[in-house]
Amino acid sequence: MAEVNRKRLLECALCPNMCRCECPVAQAAGREAVAPSGKARLAHLLLEGRLPWSEAALEALSACLGCRGCTLLCPFPELALDDELLAARRNAAAAGICLPAAAPFDHNLKKYGSPYGSRGGPAAAKYGDGEVLYFTGCTAAANHPAAAGAALALFEQAGVSYQTIDEYCCGYPAETWGGETLARQLAAENRARIAKSGARRLVTGCPECRYTFTRRYTEWGAALPLPVVDSAGFFLELVREGRLKPRALEGAGPVTYHDPCLAARLEEKWEEPRILLGFIPGLSLAEAACAKRSTRCCGGGRMLQLTFPALSEAIAKRRLAEFPAGAAVVTACPFCRENLAAGGGAVLDLAELLARACL
Amino acid sequence: MLDFSEMMLQERQLLSSESSELAGKLRVIAGEQGVSASPVDRLATCRDYWPMGSLWFLEGKAPALPDLVVWPADTAQVAAVLALAGEHGVPVTPYGEGSGALGGAIPLRGGIVLDLKRMNQVRELDGENLMVTVECGLNGALYEEHLNRRGFTGGHIPQSIRCSTVGGWLACRAAGQFSSRYGKIEDMVVALEAVLPDGTVFSGRRVPRTATGPRLDHLFIGSEGALGVITAATLRIWPCPEERSLLSFAFAGLEEGLEAARLIIRAGARPAVVRLYDYAETGHHFPEVKEAGGRCMLILLIEGDRRLAAAETQMAREAALAHGGVDTGCGPVEHWLERRFNISLASKLFRQGAVVDTIEVSSTWTGAAPLYRAMQEAMLAVEGTALASGHYSHVYPEGAALYMTLCGFPPGEKADYYKRIWSAAMETCLSLGGAISHHHGIGLHRGLWMEQEHGGAGLEALRRVKQALDPGAIMNPGKLGLEEALEWRK
Repeated sequence: MAEVNRKRLLECALCPNMCRCECPVAQAAGREAVAPSGKARLAHLLLEGRLPWSEAALEALSACLGCRGCTLLCPFPELALDDELLAARRNAAAAGICLPAAAPFDHNLKKYGSPYGSRGGPAAAKYGDGEVLYFTGCTAAANHPAAAGAALALFEQAGVSYQTIDEYCCGYPAETWGGETLARQLAAENRARIAKSGARRLVTGCPECRYTFTRRYTEWGAALPLPVVDSAGFFLELVREGRLKPRALEGAGPVTYHDPCLAARLEEKWEEPRILLGFIPGLSLAEAACAKRSTRCCGGGRMLQLTFPALSEAIAKRRLAEFPAGAAVVTACPFCRENLAAGGGAVLDLAELLARACL
Repeated sequence: MLDFSEMMLQERQLLSSESSELAGKLRVIAGEQGVSASPVDRLATCRDYWPMGSLWFLEGKAPALPDLVVWPADTAQVAAVLALAGEHGVPVTPYGEGSGALGGAIPLRGGIVLDLKRMNQVRELDGENLMVTVECGLNGALYEEHLNRRGFTGGHIPQSIRCSTVGGWLACRAAGQFSSRYGKIEDMVVALEAVLPDGTVFSGRRVPRTATGPRLDHLFIGSEGALGVITAATLRIWPCPEERSLLSFAFAGLEEGLEAARLIIRAGARPAVVRLYDYAETGHHFPEVKEAGGRCMLILLIEGDRRLAAAETQMAREAALAHGGVDTGCGPVEHWLERRFNISLASKLFRQGAVVDTIEVSSTWTGAAPLYRAMQEAMLAVEGTALASGHYSHVYPEGAALYMTLCGFPPGEKADYYKRIWSAAMETCLSLGGAISHHHGIGLHRGLWMEQEHGGAGLEALRRVKQALDPGAIMNPGKLGLEEALEWRK
């Protein structure tokens, strides 16, 4: 795994936090220690040996959603502060300091292969030799299996040759909490199962899984032997091929699409979901104030809904306030769906909405 | 490891037992999550964006640690915290987002840092009467975003807008980049809500003007937390402009550009942005504009009602061309709009061992060009100075603000160099009749020249006001030059 780029970290530490208005953590917490440059300063002092590692220091460095909101305004084009903080946090683990709030979930990861206690997988598993492998992800499986159920029902409807596997967590939470060895083990388990499946494509509705598969598995020595596709893009393909035929939804009011931050900023995928929604006759789309690449995180990034639940909920409430009044919120990320719902919003997964229109 | 001995300016700290007792009482007021004694939070609020803070940070040192950080949720909590601090004689340093450039937020004598960022609500937007009431801890960019979404602008766009709060703007008497049209922060205040050092809450009335004695709320604008805590403000707003016009002209020298700017303002036009760069900064910012080579660039941004904007655009163009300005089109203004918040070069230079800072002053039109030349000469004469450049950034019928940028690689102690170059700049400014600050305020460092700025009688009057409102001297001690900042004055 990459080491901290000390030059980049220091330049961030010397900046007056020109990105802090786009950092949901800084704005919801109102606390200097967790503002972007505040974390960079703290990390610099820790790595310089000017401060001893402590739970309090690790807790501050862990208060990052990995949403890349800060990059929207960052004058340092090569800096990804979340990656630097991730690398810095591994030094805490090496020093024997762990995030107490992550301990029970980390325990589950080690024991069961999922932070939630039981491993992921769709409600209706389908083993076999299908061409498309649907990967549910443990957050979707634990919190809202209905979305995966809707996705697979759509696959059935469209006649997709698909299969599922006995999933392990992708490794995103382990990476988040500094468990490099564990992340590699989980990646190896998944890689072996995915390779053995013989599938030609992997489709998942979880941006965190996609991020980990595409950006981390190679460096963890577990590069996947097949392309990883987002579910919105895949559904759009099915609609365009005429294999799914959305109908008008009776009584449906306007909807707004919440762009998951990883999908929008790292994968630059914001058009496909909107085009897909446009195929549902009569559905009107009302844009949120900050949308597409300028989206704001729901508060669930980097597992903050588990380790900083109050902060995470506060971020969700702030995000909910940015949506057009009266519009139903649709998203394509199990973290966003769960966290915005916890913040008091009525939120649908894109697959669920599409299933209502197609099935 | 960081410890008390490496705090460069710390004059005092609470005993551990005193801090624990106070923390318990503060938790009753602000809740468990509203108080921290953690070194992580204390370290995070030990400084602002004063360059000495960055220079010490690079050496693993810090200016001064607070004993406790408190996050009040509302005005009542602020009042209770101040009353409690007064009872205990504990200093209180208000804190926004730490973008101040003069050390104004450093808790020199420890005590409580009052972090106001959780007071961040827009209480009321009154579009008919064009005013908004907003809490002090709201981030500036989010304040402007809130207004823009509803069809209004606050008109206050400082370079720090993304990393400063509304309360911070008021406390340091700020000016934004668009101030030549919309005014400075003091021009925008309809009313303030502030907490006096004894915990009394003062609220101004939301009316367009009064003739009911001195404007009490104006006493707090620029008070930098030394007289009390500004907790909310009712500010003027404007409908979003329907027209925007971008113009730029390159002049043979600063004098020609200044004369054009003076006549534009004198005629009654009010471009939102008027910026005139010296040769060095023109070359640095606009290298791609061939006609600007060896010239001084003037950029103008005019906005508002389309009829007024059209008339002002014509007036500005005529004045600029009449003084030899070469029309360089809208490109330079677009470039400025795109780059105006990018201060990454300062981080890079600090990292490479440089001392970097900016010094903003003001003068009449008559003194504007001589002041620039004299300050530049004085700053370049300080050993180690690599660059002293400038631009005029705000204009008035009476004169303009001059914004100098310095970069030095000092041969010896950086703090010594820092004091020497500032002394050269400030003494020169004062000797030519300039004001020592246009919009960054006084903070810690500029307090060294407050007596020369105000005169003995003027500063004494300010001290009496401070004594009357804050007899226990708990509010942000050592700032505004009202009392000695012992370690820094040494």
